[in-house]
Amino acid sequence: MFAYIVRRFFNLIPTFVGATLLAFLITQLVPGDFLSQRALEPNVRAETIERLRVQFGLDQPWPVQYVRWMGSLLQGDLGMSFSSNQPVANLIRAPIQNSMVLVVMSLIFLYALAIPLGVFSAVRQYSTADQVVSAVSYFGLAIPNFFFALILILGIFMLRTFTRETFGYNRLILPVAQMTSSGFSDWPWYRQWWDIFVHALMPSFVVATAGIAGFTRVLRAQMIEYLSSDFIRTAKAKGLGQRSVTYKHALRPAIIPFVAGIGGILPVLIGGAGLVEIVVSWPGITPTLLAAIGRQDIYVVLGLVVVSTLLLMIGNLISDLLLAVVDPRIRYN
Amino acid sequence: MSDLRPHAERNQEPAADADGVPLQGPEGGGPARKSISKSQFQIAMEQFRKHHIAAVGLWILGFLYLLTAFAGFVAPYGINEYRTRPSASFQPPTKVHWIDPDTGRLTRPFIFDVTQKRDPVTFQRVYVEDTSTTYPIRFFVRRPNHEYTILGLFTSDLKLFGVDDPARVFLWGTNNLGKDVFSRVLYGGQVSLTIGILAVWVSLFLGLLFGGLAGFYGGWVDEFVMRLIEVLSAIPGLFLLVVLASLLQDPRNPLAQAFGLQMNSAQTFLMIVVVLGFVGWGGLARTIRSLIFSIREMDYAQAAKALGAGEGRILWRHLLPATASYVIVDLTLTIPGFILTETGLSFIGLGPSEVDTASWGMLLKDATDRGISIQFVPWLLIPGVPIFLAVLCWNLVGDGLRDAMDPRKRQ
Repeated sequence: MFAYIVRRFFNLIPTFVGATLLAFLITQLVPGDFLSQRALEPNVRAETIERLRVQFGLDQPWPVQYVRWMGSLLQGDLGMSFSSNQPVANLIRAPIQNSMVLVVMSLIFLYALAIPLGVFSAVRQYSTADQVVSAVSYFGLAIPNFFFALILILGIFMLRTFTRETFGYNRLILPVAQMTSSGFSDWPWYRQWWDIFVHALMPSFVVATAGIAGFTRVLRAQMIEYLSSDFIRTAKAKGLGQRSVTYKHALRPAIIPFVAGIGGILPVLIGGAGLVEIVVSWPGITPTLLAAIGRQDIYVVLGLVVVSTLLLMIGNLISDLLLAVVDPRIRYN
Repeated sequence: MSDLRPHAERNQEPAADADGVPLQGPEGGGPARKSISKSQFQIAMEQFRKHHIAAVGLWILGFLYLLTAFAGFVAPYGINEYRTRPSASFQPPTKVHWIDPDTGRLTRPFIFDVTQKRDPVTFQRVYVEDTSTTYPIRFFVRRPNHEYTILGLFTSDLKLFGVDDPARVFLWGTNNLGKDVFSRVLYGGQVSLTIGILAVWVSLFLGLLFGGLAGFYGGWVDEFVMRLIEVLSAIPGLFLLVVLASLLQDPRNPLAQAFGLQMNSAQTFLMIVVVLGFVGWGGLARTIRSLIFSIREMDYAQAAKALGAGEGRILWRHLLPATASYVIVDLTLTIPGFILTETGLSFIGLGPSEVDTASWGMLLKDATDRGISIQFVPWLLIPGVPIFLAVLCWNLVGDGLRDAMDPRKRQ
């Protein structure tokens, strides 16, 4: 097992180098650089621009820039941001943490809802409830998550209008924008955590919808296949209860593609979170990325891409390891 | 064997069409003939027709595509048409009346003109109906100086419906500039509905090329292609899309300079198509590769090789056609994904140019502009509904096709 982890880890290296090279090349294709925007300002002297260009290494050909950047990356240094003159690591730490709050919470939503729903509709195949779950999951797959977020926001506002007119309760049941309330910084840590949690509820649910719908359908199909297979009949013949048959014998093999699927669902969640972040003004990766692209602050762009690529790869690795735990047929040697 | 039985049984029955009339021979007029066998494609189409939900999806899609193709005729106003005096900014959907106020009887639909007022308490803009004059909704009206072109073929100024000046009919309200949301949704479909279909061809080309090569040659070619796909999928797709889309919209980008493009709206549109297809081909290439790995070993492929067929011929004539049914299903299920991605890109302002095109994502962006509270302008969310409908129907059609092509699911 340990040897497998080490081997997998070394396999990641060429992929990582390839991904960073690709990202670097794409940013190099952008015409001009950060300083060519600055050069248009009338009060900046040409010498200053030249000096800055040398200072940031922008006068070098791109392979040199890439090797330098990669060299400092290996020492854990993501470079300096051009526009704010700070280390990139400082600038992107908070957005990445904020996005991870959404991604982790939507993963929890995903598993907490998709597994029971999938098992439920498989056990009651073709019942009304099963058909409702199927129909709803089709809707969940088809609705763009930024649109869904907008609808939920509208719904929360309309609910407030309703509660104000009937009960005189003039507050939103859930916050619809930002990550924190005002006065956040003065609060004790547990109240801060709670505040972020409450703010994340709606967006993370939205991010999870397509995943919930997809996973429910896959799990249902898998469960139906396993529930009608021979080993389930044997288990029933041995006198095992329905509960034990369903959860211990059918669910366990049926869940395998789920665990293996974490690697596939992570990029979807990160990407999906991006659009929702914009709708609810969540200070996450995507708003920061868009702003950095606008300023041609390429090391910030690269830093964000590199760190999310790393997170993805680690997620894939974890899902492979989990797979080994769940599926005894897989032996790594 | 089990999948052959229904096929054989069907062939025992005399072939007849839906009305029970025996089928004629291909030349017509000849004696009724039993069909000997059906192609895979014919069986799949028969199965698909039995799949009612998928058929409904196909009908709705057909309706949506027809509507957007004839957007110029159906939409009462132009894509960017608005009036400054009087302004119609954020005007709610126009109420269509059916009851004549004088007689109290049912009458032809009509509307009232509206005037803009300020609510004295909240300072919200409100529109009040001016009930002194009625404006009947007229059908098949001409609007001189508002010509449109359908499919690039005919030019006309005939509109499906409209009202006399100075009134305006806004079925789904207006945005901040007073542009008609209904008309813009129809025009927006021209971008949002076609971009997925076009991007799929880019993905198909790249997927067939790389998947085919990897599966056929194996060895280091396969290793290289698989690494390339891994690298592409290692970068979160949205970020790749965002970076590429913002790069390619700059008229100074290398690709535009190489081909001498000015990046007008049509070229930006094509760039988005290429970017979507470029980011999305990995999955298809993987599917084709693994299929070819198994088909390559089949007897007929081996026979072709033994008969001296060249590599290109085997790949092109024997291996790739065998992947067709999977590829068709895969592509049908990729289109809705592309539609979602395009609307997402337009939503963050990286889609096709806003100057003379609209896209459903771009229209939804109007609802999130600074200083707008959705609760006062809920109609700006309407453009999301056709996105949802189109994606839903494409998914239904794709699932129906998959079931139709799957011999285990035949009825």
